[in-house]
Amino acid sequence: MSIQIQRGKAITVDRRTRKTPMGQGLLRGLGVIWKHWSASFQKNDSYKKIQGTFTIEYPEERRQLPEAYRNMPILLYDEQSGHEFCTSCFQCERICPPQVIHMTQAKDPATGKPVPAVESFEIEYDACMSCGLCAEVCPFEAIKMDHTFELSTHDHPSLTVDKTALNRPTTYYAQIAPRMWEEVKENAYKKLAANMKRRSDLIGIAPQMQEQLREQLARAPQAEPAPEAVASASTTADDKAARLAAIRAANAAKRANSENGQAAQGDATQSADDKAARLAAIRAANAAKRAAQQAQASEAPETAPSESASPADDKAARLAAIRAANAAKRAAQQAQASEAPETAASESTSPADEKAARLAAIRAANAAKRAAAAAEKGQEE
Amino acid sequence: MRDLIDGLLNTTLGLGAPDWLVSLISYVAIVTIIFLVAPFQMLFFTMYERRAIARMQDRIGPNRVGPEGAFQPIADGVKMFTKEDIVPAGADRWVHLLAPCVVVAPTMLLFAVVPWGPGMVPVDLNVGLLFFVAISSISAIGIMMAGWGSNNKFALLGAMRGVAQMISYEIPAVLSLLAAVLLAGSMSLVSLVNLQAGLPFVGMLAGIDLGLGWLIFTPVGFVGAICFFIAALAEGERTPFDIPEADSEIVAGYMTEYSGMKFGLFYLAQYILNFLLCAITATVFLGGWQFPGVNWLYERAISPANPAGNGLFNVLAGVLGVFAFLLKTYLLFYVMIWLRGAFPRLRVDQLMHFGWKFLIPLSLVNILSASLWVACMQWGAEQGMGAIEGWSPWARLALAFVLTFAINLVGYIALVRIQAPTRRRPSRLTGSIAVP
Ligand code: SF4
Ligand code: SF4
Repeated sequence: MSIQIQRGKAITVDRRTRKTPMGQGLLRGLGVIWKHWSASFQKNDSYKKIQGTFTIEYPEERRQLPEAYRNMPILLYDEQSGHEFCTSCFQCERICPPQVIHMTQAKDPATGKPVPAVESFEIEYDACMSCGLCAEVCPFEAIKMDHTFELSTHDHPSLTVDKTALNRPTTYYAQIAPRMWEEVKENAYKKLAANMKRRSDLIGIAPQMQEQLREQLARAPQAEPAPEAVASASTTADDKAARLAAIRAANAAKRANSENGQAAQGDATQSADDKAARLAAIRAANAAKRAAQQAQASEAPETAPSESASPADDKAARLAAIRAANAAKRAAQQAQASEAPETAASESTSPADEKAARLAAIRAANAAKRAAAAAEKGQEE
Repeated sequence: MRDLIDGLLNTTLGLGAPDWLVSLISYVAIVTIIFLVAPFQMLFFTMYERRAIARMQDRIGPNRVGPEGAFQPIADGVKMFTKEDIVPAGADRWVHLLAPCVVVAPTMLLFAVVPWGPGMVPVDLNVGLLFFVAISSISAIGIMMAGWGSNNKFALLGAMRGVAQMISYEIPAVLSLLAAVLLAGSMSLVSLVNLQAGLPFVGMLAGIDLGLGWLIFTPVGFVGAICFFIAALAEGERTPFDIPEADSEIVAGYMTEYSGMKFGLFYLAQYILNFLLCAITATVFLGGWQFPGVNWLYERAISPANPAGNGLFNVLAGVLGVFAFLLKTYLLFYVMIWLRGAFPRLRVDQLMHFGWKFLIPLSLVNILSASLWVACMQWGAEQGMGAIEGWSPWARLALAFVLTFAINLVGYIALVRIQAPTRRRPSRLTGSIAVP
């Protein structure tokens, strides 16, 4: 219902200013209110109507937000390859008016050269003014505006959000803004494909995808040496290897479980499972040992330059490593111990023992992981 | 109530209680009931108003606490009770403290004369209306105390406005009630209600009692009701006359410096006063508890006129009467909300202008019609109405009806004409300036 106005033609607007003597104006006012009152019992769902209740009872009912609605920026990653779209080009950081975006670019550990991927990415949500300029400027469609607006919290520091919390899969964005994503999708993937070639190992992989990818790698041992080979050059690679081994151990233990569950009877299969468990434990122990060595290795050059901070860390790392080794040893013993009576006699007790073995293996794996993390930390310093 | 207690103590239980004891017990019981009912009326009214005004503004209104927001007033009450009580520095502590009490007490006293149902009046004062008008003005003192004691210019301004408004609108209120008093020949609210039995327009003339012979159906009663209701709006500080607490001008008027339960008391007093004003309007002009069937039931009940009645009919007549009374009161309160939804606040000068130059003359005209009505209906040759001495009551009624209707209509039109904003003639001074 738009008003068409011809040029050069005078229009008179009826402002209903005709005289309303004898209190008719008052009555008419009451009439208007009456109309609103009586119409308010039905819902006003069309914006052409001026009467009727149009309240949306918010926590229960929610309006469909428009696609271009923007609240806080998020980062996108591709959930197939796990790669983040961001290349750390610093465009958003530069344009952000309140300067709340902070990032560091990833470096290739082998060559030390910058890689088109982001190492850490932080946005201070508390100071972000939702202007959306970062999303406008990003050439790689990596940063987009989210639709979540219920961000109130008592915890102020939690509003400084890191990459892990910022990352969203593309499916999420495609869901909240399907048409806008459709427009830029092709371009984004093209650029991502080009960038992926320059990223090695796990660089540029979304943190939430890394675990998954590693597990995939662990499950396919033939494919696994490749990253290990690349990584072996640096010390971090060793850590990774340790972690990988631990994961493998955990997986093996898991596999052992599942097989256990499947094989209801039969000593033969059980002993095989036990063997697997033992193997896992041994592998975990090895991993732990390696981690410990690394920790020591990393400690050696460190003790010289760093005084106050590193010793504690190193100690922690060593402690963790030792603990992990112990755990692994214990796990191995347990596995053996549990195996001995099992093979000899009862089937009924074995599940419990197996469980213990499994537990031990997992604990060992965890310990190894922790040790590795500690070692890494120590190295960073 | 007194009869009931008397019967229970002396007849049924045979205790032979002395007269004063019966009176004491019965009035304590009545007061207890009223003091229980009054705050609940207030709670209900706050909820009612908020929901109704929300509907008028295309909203839903408070509906989160309890089913459909039914416990919202209770939540508000809890909030009021738990809030800090702040007394401003430099305030007159005692006056500040006493003001809410002085405002609340008279409103509670007013319940004494309100007839809730047939035979259900705390005290049937023969000057009931006078009592009502006199006591309701006492709260003006409380308002002035609040404004003065707060040591705040907004509070003082609000209080002065409030007192000025209350005093000005007391006059049209009393004058329009006077018309009803003329018709009833009594100031007792009970006799006013009893007068309004029968059929619409003709009262008891037809001999059929449907309890619909309300005063509002006569020209005198109609104008009187409207005048009184408008004056009641001003006394109850309802929009469009909420000048004493005009939020957009003087914060909250005399309540500015009040918080917590002291503020709650003002709030309570205001809503109870509104309830009472609606109740009095309903009683005087809308027949109070008069409703088809109430009189029929009451004739068969135990009453001073009919001691041999059936107690069951007492209950039935009481329930129906109270129902009718509350229905009318709530409908009138709905009108108050409706007016609040429709009209903006008046300016102080407009308020005075409207009260003194329009409402008072109109109620004076109404008194003239009321007198003529009484003359036509009741006077004979001795009073100088020999001309219509021999007429049938129907003819006299018709004459009274036509006469009062004409007088009121002419009075209204004349007043509106006088008050109408005269179109300003272009002044010679401004007219000569050529506007490009
Ligand atoms: S939305 Fe605006 S303020 Fe917020 S991070 Fe992006 S550019 Fe900075
Ligand atoms: S989010 Fe976009 S603009 Fe910001 S650094 Fe990454 S690729 Fe560049």
